[in-house]
Amino acid sequence: MQKINSITFENTLPAVFRAVSGDSAIEHSDVWLSRCSFVRPGRYTVEAASGTGKSSMCSFIYGNRHDYDGTILFNSTDIRSFGIGDWCELRRRHLALLPQEMRLFPEISVRENIMLKNRLTDFFSEQEIKNMLAEFDLLQKYDTPAGLLSIGQQQRVAIVRALCQPFDFLLLDEPVSHLDRENNLIAARMIMEAAHSRDAAIISTSVGNPLLLRAGDSPGESIVEIKL
Amino acid sequence: MVWNLLKKNISAGQIAGYAVANLVGLAIVLTAIRFYSDVRGAFSDGDDSFVGSDYMIISKPVPLLSVMGGGKQEATTFAPDEINRLRSQPWVKKVGEFKSAEFDVGAYIELGGRRMSTALFFESIPDEFYDVSPSDWTFDPSDPMIPIVLSKDYLALYNFGFAASRGYPQLSEELISKVPISVALAGNGHYDRLPARIAGFSSRLNTIAVPEEFMQWANMRYGTPGQPVEAPSRLIVEVSKPGDPAIERYFDEHGIEVGGDKANSSRAIFLMTLITGIVASVGVIITLLAVFILVLSIYLLIQKSREKLRDLILLGYSPGQICRYYYRLVGLVNLVILVLAITASAAASLLWRPALAAMDMTGGSILAPVLAGTVLMALITMFNFYTIRRLVMRAAC
Repeated sequence: MQKINSITFENTLPAVFRAVSGDSAIEHSDVWLSRCSFVRPGRYTVEAASGTGKSSMCSFIYGNRHDYDGTILFNSTDIRSFGIGDWCELRRRHLALLPQEMRLFPEISVRENIMLKNRLTDFFSEQEIKNMLAEFDLLQKYDTPAGLLSIGQQQRVAIVRALCQPFDFLLLDEPVSHLDRENNLIAARMIMEAAHSRDAAIISTSVGNPLLLRAGDSPGESIVEIKL
Repeated sequence: MVWNLLKKNISAGQIAGYAVANLVGLAIVLTAIRFYSDVRGAFSDGDDSFVGSDYMIISKPVPLLSVMGGGKQEATTFAPDEINRLRSQPWVKKVGEFKSAEFDVGAYIELGGRRMSTALFFESIPDEFYDVSPSDWTFDPSDPMIPIVLSKDYLALYNFGFAASRGYPQLSEELISKVPISVALAGNGHYDRLPARIAGFSSRLNTIAVPEEFMQWANMRYGTPGQPVEAPSRLIVEVSKPGDPAIERYFDEHGIEVGGDKANSSRAIFLMTLITGIVASVGVIITLLAVFILVLSIYLLIQKSREKLRDLILLGYSPGQICRYYYRLVGLVNLVILVLAITASAAASLLWRPALAAMDMTGGSILAPVLAGTVLMALITMFNFYTIRRLVMRAAC
């Protein structure tokens, strides 16, 4: 499967919004019921109130929900044409997701949670993973079951896990909702470096506590604010 | 690592329950198959009379008037359409006709200085119906030597009836095969004395049999010219299901008699087949119930692990990768069950094998239960794999 250069929403609307499609919030949305493209290697921040479809948007792009009207295109291919095999390949090599609820496995250790993802592509060495955890001051929790960590700690582990693969687009659904400013800055720097090294785009949603992204040095790495 | 995650939801009790139930079911099936193969194999040992069970020699009863020699006689022969009707029965494999000699036959034997002579009769049947394979079972008019197959019953009759009461020597099969015999054939203005030899003894055929080649030649030479060929009065039938009640019913309806005790031994085999079939069916039912338990366990397991499976698939694992962990578990459990079931059937066979050995019967091989068990387990495993795949795919979407 070729690299994803653009993700385009064409007249898309989550099925749950059908009944309120005339609503002013949806009429003024950049994404729903209009044409909106996310282009690699842009940095997109999607700021919106709760219940406006941020998680739905990430899920639609990641292929784990299909309950929408309209069309979503990867380059020029309608993503409805992808089968389960295509989605598995996309999730290994082209799309990375940090879901809002993090989806760590509580009964296994931090190391196992991260390695479960990393072993699919052997993207990082164990030392590199330890270095990333050390930046988040979590190295001492390496062998601790994820369920015993605080929510903030779990969020940082989930960020590291999301970066353990190649990707063209990194989808972050409220990635720092439980982090303080200091950890937000560390996360932002780590994420920007990862995206820059892969020539990838970032789509990050938030409800008032955005990931503190900066524009990159390369052309195209500018910050684009999207209204949902 | 994935297995570490998934195995936390596996209930060892459920797997053990399935394993025990399936082991019991499969062991019963394989033991029944082993028993059938042993006993059936024993019945087929050598030249035993049980061999005749698959073959039946049939004739029609001789009516009273025929004995009295008067009135309109009922035919004791089989008409062509009767033979065709018999051939079309589903339990019939082959039908052979007994051909009778249409000439006079006499035999002369020189034995210990005494000369014995007797009037005889000859019959022939197609070669494929013989249970013995005599050497040189042919006839060449330019170098005439008539090979004869005698019924074992005749030899027994001589040895234990005639010879014993008259003080004559008893004869073994080997000895009598070496006795020079000459046969006088007469009819149609010809009279010849030809050498003959006893080529073998049959426990299937209750007659004095000669090769069909000889019978054709002799009937041409000594038979009355222009006389129509007489319909056969005896038939030999190879049946596919010995002891099938349909056979007895057919014979009763058509007034046909079965020679010797073939009908009884056929019935014994049929009963054995029936009982073994019932036992095997019980085993199959238990096995199916066990498979049902496993499918239910797999369903519960995958339901319990649904969230995990979904999260693994969101991480990029394919359903096939996840299925493989469950395949390995089920495959291993099924393999252990198969080995234990085969061992159990082999152990059970020790119960009846001494009894067979005492009857000088060797029994069948272990191949039948091993093959049946492997095929059955392969089918069960494939069905299990299909169920796992379907449920994981359902969890993935």
